[in-house]
Amino acid sequence: MFQPEFQAVVLAAGRGSRMPEITSGKPKCLLPVGTKPLVWYPLYKLQQSGFTDVILVVLENHKSEIQATLDKSELEIKIDYFPVSGKEDLGTADSLRLLHDRLKSDVLVISCDFITDFSLKGVLDVFRMHDASVASLFFHPHGGELTIPGPKSKHKPERDLVGIDAQTNRLVFLASASDFESELSLPRSLLKKHTHVKMYSNLVDSHVYVLKNWVVKYLNSQPNFTTIKGELLPHIVKKQLSKPPKGAEGKSIVSKCDSEDIFNYAKEDPFSIIIRESSSYNDHIGDSKPTYHGDSIRCYALIAPRDSFGVRVNTLATYWAVNSKVSERWDKITNGLSLVLRHPKSEIKSSQVDDKCVVWEGAKLHEKTSFKNSVIGANSEVCSFSRVFNCIVMNNVTIKEKVALENCIVSDGVTIEKGCQIKGCLIGSHHLVPENSEHSQEVLTDSDRLMEF
Amino acid sequence: MSIKSKDDIIQAVVVADTFGDEFLPLSSDIPLALFPLINRPLIDYTLEFLSLGGIEETFLFCCSHTDAIKAHINQSVKDKAGWSLTMKVNVIVSESCHSFGDCLRDLDRKGILRGNFVLLEPGTLSNIKLLPIVKKHNEVANKDKGAAMTVIYQEAGIGQMGRDLNEEVVVAVNNNNRVLFHRKLGQSRDRKIEFPLEIFLENSNVSLHHNLKDTHIAICSPSVLPLFSDNFDFQSKDDFVKGLLMNEEILGSTVYCHVTKGSHFGGAITNWRMYQAISHELQNKWIYPLQPPALKAHNLKNGVVTGDKVVLNDNKKIANSIIGDNVTIGKNVQIEHSFILSNTKIADNVIITHSVIGPNCHIKANSRITASSIIGKDVVIENEQFIENSLVQSTQPENCEEKDKLGKKAFRLKLETDDDDLGALSRKLSQLHIGDSPVEESEDEAFTDSEDEELSYTQSPVPDDTKLFFTEVIDSLTRGFEDELRCENLILEINSSRYAYNVTVKEVNFNVIKAILIMSLRFPIGAQYFSQFVRLLSFFAPILKNYIRNEGAMLDCLQAIEDVAISNENVNEKWVMFTMKWFYDKDFVTEDVIMEWSKSLDTKSRFYGQVKPFIEWLEEAEEASSSEDD
Repeated sequence: MFQPEFQAVVLAAGRGSRMPEITSGKPKCLLPVGTKPLVWYPLYKLQQSGFTDVILVVLENHKSEIQATLDKSELEIKIDYFPVSGKEDLGTADSLRLLHDRLKSDVLVISCDFITDFSLKGVLDVFRMHDASVASLFFHPHGGELTIPGPKSKHKPERDLVGIDAQTNRLVFLASASDFESELSLPRSLLKKHTHVKMYSNLVDSHVYVLKNWVVKYLNSQPNFTTIKGELLPHIVKKQLSKPPKGAEGKSIVSKCDSEDIFNYAKEDPFSIIIRESSSYNDHIGDSKPTYHGDSIRCYALIAPRDSFGVRVNTLATYWAVNSKVSERWDKITNGLSLVLRHPKSEIKSSQVDDKCVVWEGAKLHEKTSFKNSVIGANSEVCSFSRVFNCIVMNNVTIKEKVALENCIVSDGVTIEKGCQIKGCLIGSHHLVPENSEHSQEVLTDSDRLMEF
Repeated sequence: MSIKSKDDIIQAVVVADTFGDEFLPLSSDIPLALFPLINRPLIDYTLEFLSLGGIEETFLFCCSHTDAIKAHINQSVKDKAGWSLTMKVNVIVSESCHSFGDCLRDLDRKGILRGNFVLLEPGTLSNIKLLPIVKKHNEVANKDKGAAMTVIYQEAGIGQMGRDLNEEVVVAVNNNNRVLFHRKLGQSRDRKIEFPLEIFLENSNVSLHHNLKDTHIAICSPSVLPLFSDNFDFQSKDDFVKGLLMNEEILGSTVYCHVTKGSHFGGAITNWRMYQAISHELQNKWIYPLQPPALKAHNLKNGVVTGDKVVLNDNKKIANSIIGDNVTIGKNVQIEHSFILSNTKIADNVIITHSVIGPNCHIKANSRITASSIIGKDVVIENEQFIENSLVQSTQPENCEEKDKLGKKAFRLKLETDDDDLGALSRKLSQLHIGDSPVEESEDEAFTDSEDEELSYTQSPVPDDTKLFFTEVIDSLTRGFEDELRCENLILEINSSRYAYNVTVKEVNFNVIKAILIMSLRFPIGAQYFSQFVRLLSFFAPILKNYIRNEGAMLDCLQAIEDVAISNENVNEKWVMFTMKWFYDKDFVTEDVIMEWSKSLDTKSRFYGQVKPFIEWLEEAEEASSSEDD
């Protein structure tokens, strides 16, 4: 059977635990972003990059809802749903491990919350060029503080320390800044091998990883790894510094004692080694070591150029920010797909809907309402004399008369009664806001439904 | 030149002395500035570099041999040396200075520098164009008022000859080339390098460089001199950089760096190894346009350069060496990787390798001078002498021992080395031995192995603390013995391990002695065995003394002997006997305790069989002595 060069896996079994206020009643991957649900973006990106098949890992109980939504979304890529049980909290590596026997080729792993205008081809080419073990994609941060709905809190992003060899783009160090107290100690041999390392502390990890097939097999043998980013990848990055155990060359892989060793998985095709050795190519200068320092494990990083845009929608801040950006950048993100801001099956009777607004299927906007820069989700209804400015209103929301909403995120099934004045609030799913309430900068939710805060 | 106003002139400061003992005994007769480098005084290259680099006024700071240097400069001006046409050289004499820092403090008092200036450490050679870097420094200083210094580094791969192993440096810089972290690694053996976390968090992008070598050239703002004056502990440029980084907030000053690439070369002669490396690079035109005097037609192949009026009777065995003016070399002389300075006579059948022979020496027939020997001025080496890894000078040094007298005009010079291993290592690294393969490879391997352990995620059972303590003690002691560390330091180390693992006093005594004894089992068995054993025990005697303080400890000691003897089947038959006797003879254990302890032994065991002769001997001795008493 024909075997593709890469198999794409989209991980959509996350719960969105970093923004429980709005994901408590809904799969994170279906959060509305502009005119599409979140997961549509990575799927479309894959389709654009030439993938015809994708494995979509979803939670069992979300499967039907996700499938129903995506069936309507006119994607050509063939989606193979892979439901996983939601009983245990599954990490990204766990999901991949469950999938391992379906993965025969090298794997492109992408997260359901990743939106970018940068082509995936770049990272695949880096992987191909160096016959890498792992290639990953990073973005420069896009600054600009936004006021996020909800109570004021200091937004502290998680920071990764990413060390990249300036000469070869090898990814030589990866850790979370919070793992260190006051000092970061690097092995001297690292600096000896990679004499010029650029250490970044503000890159955005896109969670796009291209993995050699052996990495998946190795992962399968390591039941302790739960996440790709937190454990698997740092481990492999570190292992680049190690040398295979002595004598392992001659022994067969069957030998039991060290079959768990990563170097038994990271075997290179002897033919490509011969080609490399007889070639005059070397990836680095400055010492007389062989190409790639003779490493069989090689991790690479690609940093997308500054003008490109890539964001992971995994916090409220990014969710809020991306909603305001996605329509602007639509052309680049989708490479020219026409943007339908107002769904033909919506019912818009209002005359004051500015051209930044997105209206989903079946939404009803009554007369004498006013909308600016907002998203109105599917089957939501906004009654007369109400105004909605800079808001994200999700599906099946009912907003009664004389309501003023500003800078809010309104989750599925919320009902806002007459005369409410709400500014800068997060409204949890199926919450009922009583008549004439006034709120600002709050989280409005049935608190018991929040998993954690 | 007169068109320019005085303030536009870029000034340079050259410190001519090294203040160290790197170049003894030669430096006691010739100042470093006048060391011949391929038959031309070093200072000529330095001044030529400065004038080519765009400097118009240079202050040459001398602290010793000042007359010779002054004379040389005046002579050069008279001879219209290239640099003298565009650059003014002022010789500043201050014999009271004892360090690089003192010189700068003295300059501060004199107040002769006007603006930014170029600072050269002793022995610097380069072909870097300075003006663009000075300009860049000005721009930086306009933005950052605290910018005190731009240090110039050259990109150089690891293992490059011109990279001084003593000066292996790791530098972290941010986007603006500001130095955030600077550490000389050369002599440390740490496997980890600790970076303060905040430099990464405060800067989105930090470059960690380990591909640099120090050119010993720096562009300084006027604030550098007062900073040296305010901080008396700054002895060198490295102290300065280190101090500034450590107290960045207090001193309010920052350091920047500039990295040159490609054909820009810079380096300083800081020790003999660098002398050799730079000679080699100069010879191979790495520092173009700086060049040695025009090469003579009769220059030999094999990398040999000769000066004027050299008499060679036979040149088959001369390779990779530099021979000064008026040198006479006899027949069948072998010279490799060596430097022969002017007016020296070398008789027949002499072998010289990896060595420096000073001026006006006379090496008589059949001598051998090898392995980084440095022969000073006017030395006469008698016939058939063998000199290896020594410093030889013509006058008798103080405290000269008889064995160090090699001849009427040849005395071996001993330097007071720091006793710790670092001093020894750094000395080794600064010797002439290019061509030796780097020793680092094995170190690398060893490193990865231990790193591996650290990396592994597999859960092995937690070893119990006493065992961990024991392995740590063995490690400390082994290292201490190999590197001849001081026992007090080892005791400190052991005690800190003790607290780390919360081990009782009894266990400490037992384990320390056991560790020492176990080390003895590693010696090869043979005639030398017991002499090595004694050496080991004597070395650790201070440690034993520290731990065996009372009768309880003596008992622990005996138990340790027992433990080691029993658990190591193939231990030498006489080992137990020997060990017991040594401990007894040195008064670490008393007779009473041994007697007491022997009663607890199982009389049928093999071990008892080994101890028995000793006990019997003790009993006899006691009887003898008591009968004497009667």
